[in-house]
Amino acid sequence: MTMTGSSRRAQTSRTDGEDGLAALPPPSSAAPRPRRRRRRAPVGAYICLVLLAAVFLLPLLFLLNTALKSDADFLADPVGIVTEPRLQNFVDAWVQGHFGSYILNSIVYTLGGAGIGTVITMLVGFPVARGYIAGGRIWPIVFALLLFLPNSLITQFQLLLRLGLYDSRLGYVLMVAVGVGVGPLLFTGFVKSLPIELDEAAAIDGCGYGRYLVSFALPLCRPALTTIFILQAVWIWNEIILATVLLADQEKFPITVGLFAFKGAYSNQWGLLAAATMIVAVPLVVGYIFIQRYLVNGVLGAVKG
Amino acid sequence: MTARAERAAPVRTRFPFPRRGAVRLTFGLGMLMLVLFAFVPAVAVIVVSFTDLRGLTYVPTLWVGIENYLDFFSPARAADNWNALRNTMVFAIVGTVLQMGFALAISLLLNRPLRGRNFFRAVVFMPTILGVTVGGLIWSLIFNPAGGPMQSLLHAVGTQSAFFGDPRIALGLVIFVHVWMQVGISVVIFLAGLQAIPAELQEVASIDGASAWQRFRNVTFPLLAPSLTANVLMGVVNAMHSYQLTYVLAGPSNRSTQVLSLLVYVQAFGGESGTSLSQSQGYAAAIATLQFVLVGVIALATLFYLRRREARL
Repeated sequence: MTMTGSSRRAQTSRTDGEDGLAALPPPSSAAPRPRRRRRRAPVGAYICLVLLAAVFLLPLLFLLNTALKSDADFLADPVGIVTEPRLQNFVDAWVQGHFGSYILNSIVYTLGGAGIGTVITMLVGFPVARGYIAGGRIWPIVFALLLFLPNSLITQFQLLLRLGLYDSRLGYVLMVAVGVGVGPLLFTGFVKSLPIELDEAAAIDGCGYGRYLVSFALPLCRPALTTIFILQAVWIWNEIILATVLLADQEKFPITVGLFAFKGAYSNQWGLLAAATMIVAVPLVVGYIFIQRYLVNGVLGAVKG
Repeated sequence: MTARAERAAPVRTRFPFPRRGAVRLTFGLGMLMLVLFAFVPAVAVIVVSFTDLRGLTYVPTLWVGIENYLDFFSPARAADNWNALRNTMVFAIVGTVLQMGFALAISLLLNRPLRGRNFFRAVVFMPTILGVTVGGLIWSLIFNPAGGPMQSLLHAVGTQSAFFGDPRIALGLVIFVHVWMQVGISVVIFLAGLQAIPAELQEVASIDGASAWQRFRNVTFPLLAPSLTANVLMGVVNAMHSYQLTYVLAGPSNRSTQVLSLLVYVQAFGGESGTSLSQSQGYAAAIATLQFVLVGVIALATLFYLRRREARL
């Protein structure tokens, strides 16, 4: 509650200002007030919380439990809690599934794609937010259209085929890089909250646009850019269909395709399959613990902006 | 800066920097990437839907007019296509309604000053992070007909099920997993809306003797209207485009869970193998275009209805 709470409050009150809701009190400080009269702990609410946690966490715990079992154990009792936990499944899955190289591929695609995507978002978002580009109100509509494009698997495939980028890492990275989603909309909303006097002061001091973007705008926009990067990175890390369509060589597959192929090959070895799924899930869960506040705040900002 | 740009720009500004070259170049570069790799393929889908394009580059491509569309509705294909269309609609409507219902309930719960609510908020959002492949595999393990935990549970009450192999419940199970994976986003959006509702309104209603239900019905719910609009719209569009989950859970050619997007994939790239390039991609593009029109009509109708509802409140 300490870090997360205060940063969330800061974010909401800032975006509130844009919505013309500045007169409202900060939500977190006001919410507990009506409850203070009630002394009893709300038992029913806590029971609901436990049920909620069960629905979302039990599947993961089941996965862990299965991953620690041998096949014989699993067949004897699929749901029982593991008695002799063994890590052999993880070792086997890692070796047999080539997860090392898949993870490396996924890291390259995710960092490359989300990195390029974030740069694109900044390059197109900043001047539009500032009104430095002719066309004014067209551009926000263009950004919104990015969210509602038709299913263009076929033509994405054909485009790369014709550019000679089919089954190439670069082609796949470029294709996921333009999947910027809400990024530009989110970013223009954020830039509008920065005072334009900064631009003017820098310009008067003789700073050009390019240098201003890198030396001033980039550090100032870091919170928004971090959220945008993470949103896109999560999407790319989990992407499976484009990778299936645009890549043919198994050595270039990202981890999602590798995991799905693994499921096809070892569909009856539950422990192994669960361990493989864990191998993919654990980095996500661990990463999520660290990036959680950027994400939840980022989505909040996207809705209000 | 000219008057024209000043009127049109969202923020009223003039360009302070000495030269415009840099801003034009960088903006142009970024836009070029988006146009080339995002907008060109999107528009090309519609163009391609009037051709007999195939996956192989050396086969000549011919204009075929609306033949692909006639094909879609031809008697030979009609049964499969109506089935996919029906599944898409069921998926979108049932999925969105359930997602909204659960998300509203969960966000109301997590908006209360309970111990550890930040932890629970994070937990609810987690499936979104795990993604369809991991989430799909977890649930296909749980719904494994040959001895998953669900089967054990059903055995305990003296019954059993084929789960994704059972045409009567397969779509329902996919919708369930979809809601499990997507509900977190809606919860976050509803929470944002709830936090913007001034606590004073609740207090006043409470002093006036309104019950908890009346406070929800007459204060909270009407003020949540913008969040509901955003959520329903995102939910419907998302559900109508969703096929990665269906692909992971039930495979590309399971008739009972076949949806339009998956049909596009199967027609264009030939189902499981993903390598047979001789399929008619023109026909698949026609399906994608029809789906786009359908999504557009439904999204606009939803938006129109919800906006009018917001205005009434």
